[in-house]
Amino acid sequence: MRNYPIWKSFTVISLVILGIIFSIPSIIYDDDSENWFLKNKINLGLDLQGGSYLLLEVQLDVLYKEELENFSDSIRVLARESSSKIKQIIINENNVTVIFENTKKIDEIKSSFLQMYRGVNLQHKDNQLNINLDDIYKKTIQDSAIKQSLEIVRKRIDESGTKEPLIQRSGKKRILLQLPGVKNPERIKELLGKTAKLTFHLVDNENEEALNANIEPFGKMIVKDIYNENIKYLLDKRALIGGESLVDAKGSFDQTEGHAVSFRFDTDGAQKFGKITSKNVGRNLAVVLDGVVITAPRINSPITGGSGIITGNFNAQEASDLAVLLRAGALPAPLEIVEERSVGAGLGADSIAAGQIAAIIGMILVCIFMILIYGTFGALANVSLIVNLFIIISLLGTIGATLTLPGIAGIVLTIGMAVDANVLIFERIKEESLKQTKVFQIVKNGFDRAMSTILDANITTLIAAVLLFAFGSGPIRGFSITLSLGVIASMFTALMLTNFLVYMYLSITNKKELKL
Amino acid sequence: MLGLNKIIPVEPNINFLGLRKNFLVFSIFAILISIVLLSIKGLNLGIDFKGGTLIEVSTKNTSIGELREILSSSYSDVSLQEFGGENIILIRLQNKSNQESIETVNSVKNLIQDKVVEFRRSEFVGPTISSELLFRGFQAVSFALIAILIYIWLRFEWQFGFGAVVALTHDVLFTLGLLSFLNIEFSLATIAAILTIAGYSINDTVVIFDRVRENLRKYKKLDLVELFNISVNNTLSRTIMTSLTTLLALVSLFLFGGEVIRPFALTMIIGVIIGTYSSVFIAVPTLLIFKFRPQDEDD
Repeated sequence: MRNYPIWKSFTVISLVILGIIFSIPSIIYDDDSENWFLKNKINLGLDLQGGSYLLLEVQLDVLYKEELENFSDSIRVLARESSSKIKQIIINENNVTVIFENTKKIDEIKSSFLQMYRGVNLQHKDNQLNINLDDIYKKTIQDSAIKQSLEIVRKRIDESGTKEPLIQRSGKKRILLQLPGVKNPERIKELLGKTAKLTFHLVDNENEEALNANIEPFGKMIVKDIYNENIKYLLDKRALIGGESLVDAKGSFDQTEGHAVSFRFDTDGAQKFGKITSKNVGRNLAVVLDGVVITAPRINSPITGGSGIITGNFNAQEASDLAVLLRAGALPAPLEIVEERSVGAGLGADSIAAGQIAAIIGMILVCIFMILIYGTFGALANVSLIVNLFIIISLLGTIGATLTLPGIAGIVLTIGMAVDANVLIFERIKEESLKQTKVFQIVKNGFDRAMSTILDANITTLIAAVLLFAFGSGPIRGFSITLSLGVIASMFTALMLTNFLVYMYLSITNKKELKL
Repeated sequence: MLGLNKIIPVEPNINFLGLRKNFLVFSIFAILISIVLLSIKGLNLGIDFKGGTLIEVSTKNTSIGELREILSSSYSDVSLQEFGGENIILIRLQNKSNQESIETVNSVKNLIQDKVVEFRRSEFVGPTISSELLFRGFQAVSFALIAILIYIWLRFEWQFGFGAVVALTHDVLFTLGLLSFLNIEFSLATIAAILTIAGYSINDTVVIFDRVRENLRKYKKLDLVELFNISVNNTLSRTIMTSLTTLLALVSLFLFGGEVIRPFALTMIIGVIIGTYSSVFIAVPTLLIFKFRPQDEDD
């Protein structure tokens, strides 16, 4: 072969062979293969294999409000301890203002308060204390809340039996979930929709007045019953013990009470619970879940074994779901679903089939067209086009990229655009053939002249694709990936493979003139 | 060789630039109508950008009317639409808050449970997300235009960058106008389509500009209009070929790629046609604003 370096032929041929070999895993597509080679297959996105994508937002505002209330409660306690009187407490959106009757003990209260809450921004002016929830403090709350939420969400999802879930933080206050193959996203959403904050509180049966007037005395709170909004309980605000002390919870069945959740405390919790129940025999103990009373049974005798059951009007599913939630633990703040995209397996399979048909037909049309226009050269370009497709598939498989429905569209589009580089080269060759007669010189000039145009033209497409990747989300990223890979692969196949094929063809046929 | 390429002469000589005023008038007119359409009628925003709930179901021979009747008794703002196959129906609902959506999906599913074979897909986009997505889409398109401009500016003289951006803006506005006119749904995939159209159109423009630059060096004394005409003619068969192969692939995607991808394919088809048109009739004539001649062209 004239003018064609051996190293170049070798590179081209080996890249083509590698491309074809590494597209095999994705073409065979054996789902469960453990074989190292067959594992290099394309990952299908949720829109193609079926599954759920959920974006959850941690309701930080609830936490901030809680923290402001904690501030105010602590100040009250400190003021009482130092027997100084508070005139007024004002809770605003981002700060608490406490106005004292006099300035006597303020410094003392201030320093004790700062010992309790490190890093709080506290200002003192005359008889006023200003406690600010500044951005730095908010950020600490935010970070720990997200971290904790991620952990709890992960536990709940694991308990629900979902295989290979992807759970990760997204931005400042969001959690992203990808759950492949989930058939019933509603149940998952319900599991995630509950905070599952479980606390035990003593019931105050002596202050009927406050309950009827719906006024919460300091240190007490009024809580509704879960089943009947009209039943209200006056409870001690302070929780005696909470869900964090649980080590186990299970759905169970009680002969008299029906479906229930049985639970067990850890050692400390068991001791604490034993003490509480023995001190308060005869009183009622309310079980509060997410701000409502599930049940408030009378303590008949001390419970020292550290285990018990929660009854309510549960059915079997509800009891076992509650057990899951209690085992996983409480979320620091409620989660809100802000985006959901669930695709059934049926639609996914339909999309793959349709995408394949579109790609094959598109390919055939383009190939026929190229042969009609450029004859043998068109056929050579078609070889490049087919190899191009193999290379895209093998790259997607080996880099572990995810193929989505828009990604398939990107591949089909690439089929149409990939021949562009070949067209540019052939048109140049056509022009060159009018100027001179030396076949190899014509071809060489054609490729050389087309080179810079091909680079310029493809780089602009790449710019658009990269920005799409940077700003796009989920499935759209799949499009930018296939488009970029397609553009890169098409430059290689046109500039190297077509080039190689054209030289081969001309050497073998030993053509003396070139008509294109 | 079969060689049907003789259809397009090797050295065509069509006076494209002579027609530039007609096409300029046409384009200005089209852009004005597009702007008017976009501001009065607006785009048919999908749930990605408007927020709301979408449920796709396949039914057991239940007519769309029956389903509508069941659902409209509970929801005032429900809309149903056949989607591809006869038994596949798309249900759209507008919800105001995030919380509402979970309940909505559940209760819709319960209401039509016994009429449905499969819930093929359900999507919900909350109000905060939809506005974020819109903002990010806008960002992506603007940054892409700027990045492309910078690239062209680095590789060519700035006048070419200006011409390219005029053509690009033309393409984006014209395409959006047609989307509004044809009431094609505007979704995340549309943003992808528009960016790809931008990439495609600039690709086309760059190829012609490349030739203009080459010819500016080659024919030092030639009249600019003629030089531009020669450049467009030189690259004409490539322009047509690439558009046709791309369109072939896109038409195949439109016809066989499935219902979900159809709006994307249609947007791309429109965009490729507009992009090709603008490269020849907008981008190149824009270069005439600048007097290239006295400057040095030995880039």
